[in-house]
Amino acid sequence: MTEILSVQGLETQFRTREGIVHAVNGVSFNLDEGETLGIVGESGCGKSVSVMSMLRLIPSPPGQVVAGKALYQGKDLLKMTDDEIRHVRGAQISMVFQDPMTFFNPVLTIGKQVSEPLEIHNGMNKKMAYERAAKVLEMVGIPKAKERLEDYPHQFSGGMRQRVMIAMALITNPQLLIADEPTTALDVTIQAQIVELVQRLREELGMAIIWITHDLGIIAGLAKRVAVMYGGCIVEEAEVKELYANPMHPYTRGLLGSLPRMDESDHRRLVSIDGMPPILMEKPKSCPFLSRCTYAVDHCKTENPALKSLSPNHKVACWVDPNTGREF
Amino acid sequence: MSSMLSFIIRRLLILPLLLIAVTILIFSMLSMLTPYERVSLYVKDIPKRQGAMEGLIKKYGLDDPVPVQYWRWMAGTKNPDTGEIEGGVLRGNLGWSKTGKGTVWEVIGRRLPATAELALWTAIPMIGIGIYLGVVSAVNHNKLLDQILRVFSIVGWSIPVFVFGLIVLLFFYAKLGWFPPGRLSDWASQVVQSSQFIRYTNMNSIDALLNGRLDIFRDAVRHLVLPVITLAYLDWAYLLRVTRSSMLDTLNQDYMTTARAKGLSENKVIRRHALPNALIPVVTVGALMLIGLLNGVVITETIFNIPGMGSFLAESAISLDVISVLGITMFNCLILLVGNLIVDILYGVIDPRIRLR
Ligand SMILES: Nc1ncnc2c1ncn2[C@@H]1O[C@H](COP(=O)(O)OP(=O)(O)O)[C@@H](O)[C@H]1O
Ligand code: SF4
Ligand SMILES: [Mg+2]
Repeated sequence: MTEILSVQGLETQFRTREGIVHAVNGVSFNLDEGETLGIVGESGCGKSVSVMSMLRLIPSPPGQVVAGKALYQGKDLLKMTDDEIRHVRGAQISMVFQDPMTFFNPVLTIGKQVSEPLEIHNGMNKKMAYERAAKVLEMVGIPKAKERLEDYPHQFSGGMRQRVMIAMALITNPQLLIADEPTTALDVTIQAQIVELVQRLREELGMAIIWITHDLGIIAGLAKRVAVMYGGCIVEEAEVKELYANPMHPYTRGLLGSLPRMDESDHRRLVSIDGMPPILMEKPKSCPFLSRCTYAVDHCKTENPALKSLSPNHKVACWVDPNTGREF
Repeated sequence: MSSMLSFIIRRLLILPLLLIAVTILIFSMLSMLTPYERVSLYVKDIPKRQGAMEGLIKKYGLDDPVPVQYWRWMAGTKNPDTGEIEGGVLRGNLGWSKTGKGTVWEVIGRRLPATAELALWTAIPMIGIGIYLGVVSAVNHNKLLDQILRVFSIVGWSIPVFVFGLIVLLFFYAKLGWFPPGRLSDWASQVVQSSQFIRYTNMNSIDALLNGRLDIFRDAVRHLVLPVITLAYLDWAYLLRVTRSSMLDTLNQDYMTTARAKGLSENKVIRRHALPNALIPVVTVGALMLIGLLNGVVITETIFNIPGMGSFLAESAISLDVISVLGITMFNCLILLVGNLIVDILYGVIDPRIRLR
């Protein structure tokens, strides 16, 4: 498998009135062609900012990517000219967002919005682009798609809107689809339908996917690998089965421990671990999980652990081996 | 589209109700005057003797119950001598204007073109400049350009129109002699009133163009410059602020991120995705400003000696010509209501969320 994306040491900050918020603090991960990577973590841990930084979609000011690389097919997205990155966005890397209502333009028709990427990237005329849009909308399961091209976003239900957004993202056949909590705003049965749809589309189109969520149940069915984020860092990364069977970071253990048991429900969400995720006003000098961690040792107070490999498909950023309670 | 039609029909049905509400309001204000006061207002030649006034009060039923009087005011009264029905707001009769020496309608017909011309010439630069600078200001949020424009708009907003108007009049007319007050120079007035000059609209600048008289067009524009600047200066600043805040709000919306994530250039993001949303409230404000201008601008027309609706109102008020003031008020309400109807329809056209509700 060839590597399609390699993110290395990504750091993003926001200059706010209260000071500099260190939202992402050295995130690194790789993705192969056609592979699906899950990113999980509580709200505010830097998932969205990480992927938006890659595509340079962080509002600036206040945001700024201060370090790192994001190599897409070997080229650094962060060093591209504005023109170059525009040809990547929506053409080779597409995004699906959380709230299908607010992320659609309320005064433009669905036909116009869904066909727009074809018009700008493939130079297609309106008629052809609309025809293609109708086809893609049908593919994602919009009934009578052709007749609905002149409708506006508010005329669709939440689930249908999310299907439309997926159609809009995939209309250009991108190599990589980034889905930022695409099912969070939907109710449970609709969530399952969307996941099923994406699985089917992945088989048909073969794109790689980064799926951001805080629903571990969804990730298990979709992704091959999962990265767990905390405090702007990836704290554990492993194949899905390995992560479930053998979670090594105390935070991951907390997440899994706070889930309802497997046999009770298929829908395992991150509930709560005592304490709040930190808003980092300076680069963490200690482990960001320290205040909530029951395994902490002295070392955790003086140095933030880096992500290190335990085995070829399991990495963790922690000083302590939770199975023994001692430092590695 | 059929829902658009029913939207318009609904609004059209409401319109007469609103107009009737306006007449009730105006009439109740009128009935605050005593019958004696009203006799002296309604009658062309006021009798000198008390007895005659009482006779007239009886004759016209001015001490009847207010609803009866209201109905008479609306429907008109039968002249006992000739048997003809006279007056009646419902029959379009707004009464006789002492100030304009004609029926109120005639005077409005004479005065409106000057006001309409002023409104037209003011609206074009005001709306264009206000919206353009508002967008520029928002796109450059908190940068130097934005700060400069904000200072300008605050200054524009806080200088009273009579101060600004007098300053420009003093400087550009009294000192430099560039732009005179009034509507036309004497020589041009004579041409305009002559029989070779066809009055299509009674707006001098437009008619001059239609008659192919560039010299008169130039003269009309020369007279329009100062009042237009004065009016536009007030309103572009306001429009800038409305546009700016609406645009800033729009730029923070999630769908802006979607547009950028699609690979649109920043220019297209603004033009295609931000403007159609940001301009929705601006259209309303701009249209209401235009209606306000059509209703006449008392201060500006008075300062620059323009015989329009605003100065008509001012003159009537000064000479206590209540009939004219009421007539103008009725007329302005009509414009306001029809204008609002048009704005509402426009709103429905540009905002699909309203149209399809
Ligand atoms: N525009 C912004 N201004 C200031 N801080 C921001 C901004 N956007 C995000 N952040 C900060 O970045 C951190 C990560 O946010 P985000 O990536 O959106 O979290 P999530 O994992 O829920 O997607 C948060 O702590 C948030 O406070
Ligand atoms: S490094 Fe220390 S504080 Fe951080 S998670 Fe591991 S044990 Fe807990
Ligand atoms: Mg997020």
